[in-house]
Amino acid sequence: MTLSATQADGADTARGRYDGYFRPGYAHRDIYTAQDVFDQEMLHLFGTTWVYVGHESEVPALNDFVTRTIGRRPVILSRGKNNGLHVLINRCTHRGAVVCRQAQGNAARFVCGYHAWTFGTDGKCLGVPLSHAYGPDFDMEAQNLHRAARVESYRGFVFASLNGEVMPLVDHLAHARRYLDEWIDRGDCLPVVVRAGSMRFETHANWKVIYDNAGDGYHPPFSHISMLRVFARRYGDVDMQYYSGNFDEAPLISRDLGNGHTLLDQRPSMHAQSAWERQHVMPGREKMWEALSEKYGEGPAREMLDASTGSGLNLNIFPNLLIIGNQIQLLEPLAVNRTVVHWFSTTLDGAPDEVNALRMRMQEDFPSFGEVDDTAQFEACQTGMECVPEMPWIDIRRHMNTDAGHRGEDGIWTEPISSDQHMRCYLDAWRRIMNAGAARACDDA
Amino acid sequence: MRVPHGRVTMPDGTFDMPFYRRMHALVQGWQTLDEIPADRLPNADDRAACERLLHLEARLIDGLRLEAWLALFTEDCAYWIPADVAAADPARFVSWEFNDRRRLEERVERLEGGRAFSQIPITRTTHIYSNIEMLTHGQDGMEVLCNFLIQANLLGRVSQRAGWNGFLLRRTEAGWRIVLKRVGLFDADLSQHNNSFTL
Ligand code: FES
Ligand SMILES: [Fe+2]
Repeated sequence: MTLSATQADGADTARGRYDGYFRPGYAHRDIYTAQDVFDQEMLHLFGTTWVYVGHESEVPALNDFVTRTIGRRPVILSRGKNNGLHVLINRCTHRGAVVCRQAQGNAARFVCGYHAWTFGTDGKCLGVPLSHAYGPDFDMEAQNLHRAARVESYRGFVFASLNGEVMPLVDHLAHARRYLDEWIDRGDCLPVVVRAGSMRFETHANWKVIYDNAGDGYHPPFSHISMLRVFARRYGDVDMQYYSGNFDEAPLISRDLGNGHTLLDQRPSMHAQSAWERQHVMPGREKMWEALSEKYGEGPAREMLDASTGSGLNLNIFPNLLIIGNQIQLLEPLAVNRTVVHWFSTTLDGAPDEVNALRMRMQEDFPSFGEVDDTAQFEACQTGMECVPEMPWIDIRRHMNTDAGHRGEDGIWTEPISSDQHMRCYLDAWRRIMNAGAARACDDA
Repeated sequence: MRVPHGRVTMPDGTFDMPFYRRMHALVQGWQTLDEIPADRLPNADDRAACERLLHLEARLIDGLRLEAWLALFTEDCAYWIPADVAAADPARFVSWEFNDRRRLEERVERLEGGRAFSQIPITRTTHIYSNIEMLTHGQDGMEVLCNFLIQANLLGRVSQRAGWNGFLLRRTEAGWRIVLKRVGLFDADLSQHNNSFTL
């Protein structure tokens, strides 16, 4: 285990292998920069917990599939018979080749390009050319593609785990479940569909630098000043302008949802009255309003168009699912300092075309005006952490000692928006899961 | 799919559903274009004028003269970077960017405001346009397809962008102007790094 330069406090293995990476209010840079920690994360974290793999609407029909990853493991999410969902390890049981190399498609069987071993959508091995050469005891069933030990869908969100003893998905989601429900039920309960394309950003940063930012309610007025200034000058007090002055006093909150999941809730500011009225101008705004208000009347049109605005939620489901506005973000770790951030865009099934067209333009807005500036900071953090071994500690102290938190009536711990509780919470979950994973691996050995 | 020779954009520059349908049809026409029909080949003067506009456009971007660059676009213009390579319907499919004139001005204003961290320092670019093909679009319009190669350098890291641009140009009293610039990255559906400079 790497603990370079300055040795982390109390790095004794008796208390748990990963405790030494933390001290109150600080995390050690090695969790972002050390190759061995990254390798262990792929085993002990992504290899043991629930990982988001995709949305059911991405594979609506029999034999539809998309390819994803669990940590770095290539997997196939496929729709089999009887509406079944399968998550297959996309590694040929013969010589190890990645079997399916397409991002998505429809296939009744997956044929490995190397020696044509053939597998069904449920991973069953259906054919091995010239199999007589393996002798009379050859067992075709033993050649099936491996499958995730557990696959569960929560209202369309498909998660998989390689750990057969993982807790039930709803327990894992904890309080995040309520907010996932609220996000899903937004927009007149019309079904969310994830077939409207995606943007993939490759970032030269550890995947956790991006997870850090997803719950960072401190940075918006500073990192996003270029965007906020343009919109303020043109449109006045529109969305996100509430991040100004002492915005910890604004109706914006950070919540600890359990198991490393957290929430930034901007709805009390953004959706206090009409989010449609509060949102800055997107291409097509005037014409879509004209068309819908003429057809349905102003009141109903306003409600429909509310569903084209951002959800006002940043819902972070550890370790790799981030719901931001109307998009579903998925983190794909490529290497210790390289990550792909997938932004899946969403439409509402059955909503007027005008609403979905506006949703598209709205879902391009933040990525091109805001995410690009975030990405610059992710990469700057990674570089700074990697290059200065004399300064190994990352500061996560905000609102640790201010007594500004309180437990809501719903039992959820709540802090001001600029709190670092997001990082403290998820890194605590990280440490617990990693410790347990390492202990399990030790027992198995 | 019939290629619309009439006006594609709305006169006031806003987007409505018929606008998206015309835009989609225009791009599908480009995707399925074989040899350019003889009756749509431009005359030499128009072709030369449009080529000059393209070269000027590239030169202004590389020189970071974005206000002058904006002036090459009409009031009803669109600047579009799809996120797919299959000419999907932009009303139902997300793009990297699909900006009307207003949002294009906001984009420039953000970049010129001195606080756009994604472009501090600025990405240096060299745009090369090649394989230029032109088709007349009605009396005073021109469709231009060209390949592009952008050599970029951000923070000492050299990178490239490549693909094909689809332009719709219009003859105005001030000369030829850009109604649409559609930047078709050849890997638009794959991972992109920082594309917040002007493509
Ligand atoms: S590696 Fe797949 S068939 Fe040989
Ligand atoms: Fe941000």
